[in-house]
Amino acid sequence: MDPPNDNEVVDLRSLDYVSRYDDHLMCAICHCPFIRPIRLQCDHVFCQKCLNTAITSFAGFRDDFTCPSCRTPTKGVYLNVPRLLINMCDDIRVKCPFAVEGCEEVMPRGHVQSHVDKYCNYRLVDCPNDQCGNKTRKMDLHPEKCMHALHTCQHCGDDIMEKDYEEHVQESCPSLETTCPDCQTTVLQQEFEEHVKACPEMNHPCAASKFGCPVKVTRSELAAHEQGCPLVMMGPYLDAQNSRLGSLESTVRHLQQRNEIYEDGLSNIRSTLFESSRGIPERDPNLPQESLNEGRLSGAPEQPENDQWIDLPNVYSTNANTYLLSLHESLREEVGQLSRAITDLDARASMAIMNECLRIKEDMAHTNAAVSSIRMQVQWLMNPRLHQAQRMAGARNSNNGNGNTHDGDDTATAGPSNAAGPSPGLLRPRRLSDGGREGTKL
Amino acid sequence: MSQKRIAKELAELVESPPEGIKVELADESDLYQWNVYMEGPEGSPFQNGKFLVKLKLPTEYPFKPPAVSFGTKIYHPNVTNDDKGSMCLGMLRPDEWKPSSKIAAVLQFARQLLVEPMPDDAVEGRIAEQYKNDRARYDELAKEWTRKYATA
Repeated sequence: MDPPNDNEVVDLRSLDYVSRYDDHLMCAICHCPFIRPIRLQCDHVFCQKCLNTAITSFAGFRDDFTCPSCRTPTKGVYLNVPRLLINMCDDIRVKCPFAVEGCEEVMPRGHVQSHVDKYCNYRLVDCPNDQCGNKTRKMDLHPEKCMHALHTCQHCGDDIMEKDYEEHVQESCPSLETTCPDCQTTVLQQEFEEHVKACPEMNHPCAASKFGCPVKVTRSELAAHEQGCPLVMMGPYLDAQNSRLGSLESTVRHLQQRNEIYEDGLSNIRSTLFESSRGIPERDPNLPQESLNEGRLSGAPEQPENDQWIDLPNVYSTNANTYLLSLHESLREEVGQLSRAITDLDARASMAIMNECLRIKEDMAHTNAAVSSIRMQVQWLMNPRLHQAQRMAGARNSNNGNGNTHDGDDTATAGPSNAAGPSPGLLRPRRLSDGGREGTKL
Repeated sequence: MSQKRIAKELAELVESPPEGIKVELADESDLYQWNVYMEGPEGSPFQNGKFLVKLKLPTEYPFKPPAVSFGTKIYHPNVTNDDKGSMCLGMLRPDEWKPSSKIAAVLQFARQLLVEPMPDDAVEGRIAEQYKNDRARYDELAKEWTRKYATA
């Protein structure tokens, strides 16, 4: 309302926001949905005006102004905001800024300006009188007359503005008087409500009027009447009865509902049974009752429906039997299927075990072959050494045979070593043969 | 602009107050002076105490930080032990303050400071020293002060 021209700009921040809006649509500075938002390099969005105020209240230079949310340097770069965001903000519903004057319009925020400029009849406009600095609602505006000229009320002597004068004379003038319909005294209109509460002549209904007491007397007589009124005495009892009736009614309603549900269920069952009982006579003629039924049906073809209804209990019991039998059959079938499935699984499992065994046996044969080949190789590698040892032993023996006296000690010392020499050679083949035996065992 | 935002924040705080915090205007006609009643957080030596915290908002709010002070005496390293009871909050320093910070956040931060004092940022060096070296004695004194000054 600051610029006094015709197209004043609506302050969107001071509007009354009716619909709830997402907190993310709210400017972190003014806590209003964004108004002409601007985006910084760090992707934070603020209203243009808020950002400007933040910059001016910021002590440093405009160029090293930092984001009010995250302090990222803005470097003076201000980006556009997606249209979507602006649309979402402009779509929030607000009350007309002249709601105080009586305008009840609620509209999207984007339409407020045009509403105020063109359509709002409650907008305050300047009074046509140049001397008068007041404003008038657009709807009250008179082309020439100043609505703020003061008139003196003839009754109370107050100065009233032109625009309020009619209302004042008819309703709110303190000197207006009215007559009490009961005691016929004249009271000021303002005090009428208080008078009604206190008026001694006013007729009040008896406390038991809701139970049918027709008495309506003044306040002073009422006390006397109420002491003798039989209906007032009965009052508490009647109240108790009323409440009992109420609770009983609610119980009955509840029971009725339940009953309806049961009846529905019963009719459902009946119709299913009836339908199935129609099919059974042809299908199952072995049962005597059914055949009897069939006989009757064929005997009285004019009223088959009636006959069946008469025989219903029998039909029901046979129906139940057949139902149980069929259930039994289906269960048996299911058990059969299960046992078949089990044998199937059994066979599959044993096949799998067999396969696995075969593979393991094959593997073992491979290992056996490998072991025997290693044995062969070891034997082959050991052979030359064995031969050598034997040869050496042979040579030593021949030396001993030559009868060298000094060599007697040598043989004594060399003897054990010789014995030790061939012994591992002899042992190894034995071990190998052991291993071979194990292999054959497996 | 500041009035609108302050009114909005006040409405929010009154409608759904954070745990242990009750907010009202010190004077119905002045939107810039708040009285906050803060319950001592559970598990802190200030438990069961009820502290009056005064919040003074500058007219430049939210571009300038609010000032927080304790109206109730409290034994705490970050609150001055005089009749001012000013509180040292990092986020309230002019160079640390961000216009996007909300009063609710300030109050919650202040309450958190009762649970975890920041002795390195202290205004009462003696209490900070004690908090660091002799926690049992600090707890005892804080509890005693709470009982003495912060229980109605």
